[in-house]
Amino acid sequence: MKEKENLHKTFHRNKTVAVMFICLAIFMGLIGRLVYLMVFQSEYYTQKAKELHERERTIKAARGRIIDANGEVLADNKTVCTISVIHNQIEDAEEVIAVLSKELDLSEEYVRKRVEKYSSIEKIKSNVDKETGDIIRQYELAGVKVDEDYKRYYPYDSLASKVLGFTGGDNQGIIGLEVIYEEYLQGEAGTILTVTDAKGVEVSEAGEERVEPVNGKDLYISLDMNIQSYATQLALQTMETKQADSVSILVMNPQNGEILAMVNVPEFDLNNPYTLPDTVDTEGLTEEKKQELLNAMWRNGCINDTYEPGSTFKIITASAALEEGVVTTSDTFNCPGYVMVGDRRIRCHKTTGHGAEDFVQATMNSCNPVFVTVGLRLGVDNYYKYFKQFGLLDKTGIDLPGEAATIMHQKENIGEVELATISFGQSFQITPIQLAVTVSSIINGGRRVTPHFGVRVANTDGSDSQSFAYQVKDNIVSEETSATMRYILEQVVENGGGKNGYVEGYRIGGKTATSQTLPRGSGKYIASFLGFAPADNPQVLAIAIINNPQGLYYGGQIAAPVIKQLFENILPYLEKMDYNSTKSY
Amino acid sequence: MAERISSRRKSNSGSRYMDYSLLFIVLFLLGFGLVMVYSTSSYEANLDFGDSAYYFKKQLGASILGIIVMLIVANIPYHFWERFAVLGYAVSVVLILLIIPFGYEANGAKRWLRIAGISLQPAEVAKLGMILFLASMICSMGKQIRHRKGFYTVLAVPVPIALMLWRITSNMSSAIIVMGIAVLMLFVSCPDYKRFIILGLLAIAGAALVVFMIVKMAEGGTDSLDFRGARILAWLDPEAYASGKGFQTLQALYAIGSGGILGKGLGASMQKLGFLPEAQNDMIFSIICEELGLFGGIAVILMFILLIWRFMVIANNAPDLFGALLVVGVLGHIAIQVILNIAVVTNTIPNTGISLPFISYGGTSVLFLMIEIGLVLSVAKGIRLKDL
Repeated sequence: MKEKENLHKTFHRNKTVAVMFICLAIFMGLIGRLVYLMVFQSEYYTQKAKELHERERTIKAARGRIIDANGEVLADNKTVCTISVIHNQIEDAEEVIAVLSKELDLSEEYVRKRVEKYSSIEKIKSNVDKETGDIIRQYELAGVKVDEDYKRYYPYDSLASKVLGFTGGDNQGIIGLEVIYEEYLQGEAGTILTVTDAKGVEVSEAGEERVEPVNGKDLYISLDMNIQSYATQLALQTMETKQADSVSILVMNPQNGEILAMVNVPEFDLNNPYTLPDTVDTEGLTEEKKQELLNAMWRNGCINDTYEPGSTFKIITASAALEEGVVTTSDTFNCPGYVMVGDRRIRCHKTTGHGAEDFVQATMNSCNPVFVTVGLRLGVDNYYKYFKQFGLLDKTGIDLPGEAATIMHQKENIGEVELATISFGQSFQITPIQLAVTVSSIINGGRRVTPHFGVRVANTDGSDSQSFAYQVKDNIVSEETSATMRYILEQVVENGGGKNGYVEGYRIGGKTATSQTLPRGSGKYIASFLGFAPADNPQVLAIAIINNPQGLYYGGQIAAPVIKQLFENILPYLEKMDYNSTKSY
Repeated sequence: MAERISSRRKSNSGSRYMDYSLLFIVLFLLGFGLVMVYSTSSYEANLDFGDSAYYFKKQLGASILGIIVMLIVANIPYHFWERFAVLGYAVSVVLILLIIPFGYEANGAKRWLRIAGISLQPAEVAKLGMILFLASMICSMGKQIRHRKGFYTVLAVPVPIALMLWRITSNMSSAIIVMGIAVLMLFVSCPDYKRFIILGLLAIAGAALVVFMIVKMAEGGTDSLDFRGARILAWLDPEAYASGKGFQTLQALYAIGSGGILGKGLGASMQKLGFLPEAQNDMIFSIICEELGLFGGIAVILMFILLIWRFMVIANNAPDLFGALLVVGVLGHIAIQVILNIAVVTNTIPNTGISLPFISYGGTSVLFLMIEIGLVLSVAKGIRLKDL
């Protein structure tokens, strides 16, 4: 009996030992798993846990202001609120969803998704008006945070909208100067890192890490708000009376490239850049189409669009011809009302012909046959050489985004006919800014300047000022040719086609242009006038471009008076501002 | 091992044996558990009840009661309980059934009964009842257990209880433990290995098949899956279910992983600050790892290995089969629960609610575990040193 009992016990014992070893084996496996998690995966999980425990709050940097030549602030910041929720501090989720969707005008679904998401902090909406933020704050909802922060604000709404540009939700520049000077304006956001428990309550022993924000620098630009507003009024008035599609006015200092005004009406409201004009029916438009319309609204015609310059380009032909010596001011021509180029007959705008005239008179008359003749005298090689020398093949390098390049024939494709049309400014396209800069360099003694707005950046308290330097290319034309051109262009305004641009008491130079837009025969024209003053020592150059005017469309008749009015007002102003002594090159 | 005990106690042969090693291990685990319960729960307890020792005090009370009950049970000869074997089984069934009308919910599951102001988990009663009933039954069966019929009879005994625990209380882990205890006791009492190996392989194959099916189903859309299915998907990729079923597991992994080799120091856990649900309960092991590091985690596992080793020694020296089976049952209970708990918190197996014996917060659990330890000590006392 005892033996049997022992036998029993033997296998029982063996089995109990087996159980023990099975357990041991499993425990070893679990220890292995622990080693894997706590040694090899430790870094990964430590990082993840740190992210979970630390709540990062951004302290936005104030974006630098944009300030005009008179110290007027054109782009400023105003206080707005960012609304966020802290999941674990929310007590009444339904109420939070209801209040936020009501006050912020958001869909309930959108808010719910964010409120119910398990995260340390979740942003609901930024750039909320301070008033709305205060209202939400008054609800005293647990778990809802209202943080104050800055938003871009443009005190003059639509003034220089296409130049200044605007910023997006994260205060980043979208178009205009806001984009180009982003690195200076933006500043650096600061952060506060706090260790919190699951309810978002700060764990005091852990302390907080704080990185202070660096505010953006103020940008000082050459644009003069007074000139810009007056030019805008003029442009609007012209657009209305001429029922034009758009009107652009560009005012710059030809000596150093500083732009004083750049108007492209219709402008848009910088404080509501995503609102299309009332005239556009947005009903039933696709997002894509809407975006297209917005892009069109934001376009800066002086820079982003090219056009056939027409007769204003005769300035370039004349300069090249004078510089090359193929023509002198006293050379005489005869205009029968047309000129034959190969088998093609190119008409003058005066079909009866200008008769006998010298080169100065021909320019005053804007006589096409004479300029065709002069162009042909230059020949393709020379013409192309000067085209390049004047910088017309390159972009001007203006400090605005999206500058369009010149659309020009390939040199090998230029035949006599093409050369003839180029000579009076047709069959190729340039931007208005390109024309302004090229003429500037011809009349300022041959220095090609870089057009620009940005003068300097500095901290708000004026410290750490940093001026920008711009490239100047010398000897585009000789001083002599430059003086001759100033003389000829003054004659154009005094006695020629540009006499509507004459301002009493001032010496004005200029040139008119009337170009038909492509396709030819559409009956659409661009009327323009380029003027500068004083004619003997140009300090200011202005271009007016009227796009598709109704009724009269000659540049001399409708564009020249615009510049005349502009000059009548700004020339005394610039003198009073002592512009010449402080701002001249 | 037995030889060592005999040599040490040779002088007073014939005296009764008290297993102080076991007693020490259990008291150590209990004390360590109290420290960890306080550490893990104080922050939340302070926020919720304004008393950082809220959970600690309740656990301390249960532990003291447990020690008293253990000492009483240890001094009652274990054969006394044999007569209650059938009653124990019946009581288990009744208590579980009582949950349907009278049970109350906590943490989203209906698992508790409240009797005279004391809350009780019928599952804990059922585990003890199962150990007692099976020990008694196997003893009375004698050699019949070696036959097919006897084998399957024993295997069938825990099935109703397990099914009830699973279906009524939605407590699959307790059901698994009850089944596990039964299989282990059966394993020890049969000389056969082959059947168990086949049984084990079948279980593994079955589990693999279920996982495979769920993954296949999930590919066609997760809507049709119940919460257990989702748990399995969350197990395979907790980060993909970070805000749902994988949340607790992922938080536990953050705790364990961020502990590193040496831990953040006792009391310095971040995850217990509300990030990890059930930190003082099922998930306490992950906070141990976070605060005490890999060393702390392994030390706890070693204590349980020592505990199981003591059980084995006592079982193998028990005066009779009934005593040995009681100890094997307790061994099975504790070993399975520890293994499952650590496997869950390390995401080695899918998440299922299961506490860590002696350490996790929970009054019923501690009380019944101490009763079981009392039984084991009683069996140990039955060892007459001259028998060794």
